[in-house]
Amino acid sequence: MKNTKGYTLYFLVYKNLQLKYKHSLLGFVWSFIHPLFYLLIFNFVFSKAFSEIENYSLFVLSGLIFWVYFSGSCNQLSQTFVKNSHLIKSLQVKKILYPISEQLTELVSFLAGFILFIGLMIYLNLNVNITILYIIPIIILFSIFTFSVGLILGSLNVFFRDVGILWNTLNPALFYLTPIAYSFVIIPAQYSFYFKLNPLYHFLYIIRNVLHQGCAPEFYHSMFCIAITSITVLLSILIYHKTKNGFISNL
Amino acid sequence: MKQIAIDLNNVSVSYLHNRRGIYSIKDFVLKGAFFSPFEYKPVLNNINLKVYKGESLGILGRNGEGKSTLLRTIAGIITPNKGTCKVHIEISPLLALGAGLELELTGIENIKIYNALSGNYNKKTIASVIDSVANFSELSMEQLQMPTKMYSTGMLARLAFSSVVTSQPDLMMIDEVLAVGDKGFQEKCKKRIHEIKQAGATILFVSHNPDEILEICERGICLEHGKISYDGTSAEASKTYLKLFN
Repeated sequence: MKNTKGYTLYFLVYKNLQLKYKHSLLGFVWSFIHPLFYLLIFNFVFSKAFSEIENYSLFVLSGLIFWVYFSGSCNQLSQTFVKNSHLIKSLQVKKILYPISEQLTELVSFLAGFILFIGLMIYLNLNVNITILYIIPIIILFSIFTFSVGLILGSLNVFFRDVGILWNTLNPALFYLTPIAYSFVIIPAQYSFYFKLNPLYHFLYIIRNVLHQGCAPEFYHSMFCIAITSITVLLSILIYHKTKNGFISNL
Repeated sequence: MKQIAIDLNNVSVSYLHNRRGIYSIKDFVLKGAFFSPFEYKPVLNNINLKVYKGESLGILGRNGEGKSTLLRTIAGIITPNKGTCKVHIEISPLLALGAGLELELTGIENIKIYNALSGNYNKKTIASVIDSVANFSELSMEQLQMPTKMYSTGMLARLAFSSVVTSQPDLMMIDEVLAVGDKGFQEKCKKRIHEIKQAGATILFVSHNPDEILEICERGICLEHGKISYDGTSAEASKTYLKLFN
């Protein structure tokens, strides 16, 4: 049988989408409404405060959609092994396929919303030219980064259920520590070093290069993103391999 | 010369167990368990077991003596810490009550996913599987289209059992599913198991009811403290098992 893993993934994604949207009337549209709602709030609250940012709505929007994708995926992935424990215990399916399918599910709903947002961004005077295609490798890199953060959380959450809870608690803090609603410029110089330790800072920087300024991503920040992604991937593989054999007894 | 189907050689399985019942970071810090909060709790201990093709083996033992762990090891879901586990025939999914059912989804969706995850991707065969499951389980199409969280325990058992036995597996593993379900359905299941057996399948059967073991299996083993305490005919195994409670 060829490509069994592909089919298994397909069915897991199908299952996740069913579970996610089955009982909701609006389904996919939620992945559009959720960031939109935040966009309205930020626009209302902050647009005067950060009037020096050119085209504030577009600025917030470009950061927001990626933040929602990141936090949503990490949330789902941190629960993935616990949620699928009944399958892990009874079927001989490679365990890594569960988080991968979860990430793909999130990616699918992210992309569905993203297409609509591109429309909205053009309405908000996004400068559309060939450089916008840079967003494709950025999305791929960002997905890999998100996946490995989620895999670490998911693996540890099997042993300590508070990893998931802790993550949910820290989520808002991370949101405000990441320059989503405000600009990189207002960060005081003495703190800027600490802000730069946040990987999301660098991802947002290159995302805004493409979706806000309409130019190519800056080289230094892109390299940093690639480096930090490689490190998290290695770390997540290490943690996953170290913990996976203990999953069954702790689920 | 009989062909070996399953060959367990000195298999030991232990569970990573929380030493002080620590399930949260709070306890972890408060109780100061900084050094290895986990310990290995042995479940199976040096199991040597050969099962031949076409044999039906009953597995008896008290609760928590490692019966389900043994089946999971054979199914390849658990990797043994020591020893080797070789299975020379195709494994069918493990049949345990309600295992693998997604309660939010309907019966039909569950059948589809269950089949897909155990290696059956063909749309046509899945359609025919759904038909035969509906037939065997005697659940109406209306019931199959309900989310399985609305099912009764008996209905869940019917669904779970039917989705495995409608095919002709090489190796069938049954983990205490006959206990639920009404008398009529139990008889139907036993009949079906006999048919599968006649067709040459190897059967591993876990049950707490020695009568069922006697009915279905020729050979029986008794598990005690993760070790095989008896291996022989199912009649003798049943006697050994009943003695445990005297």
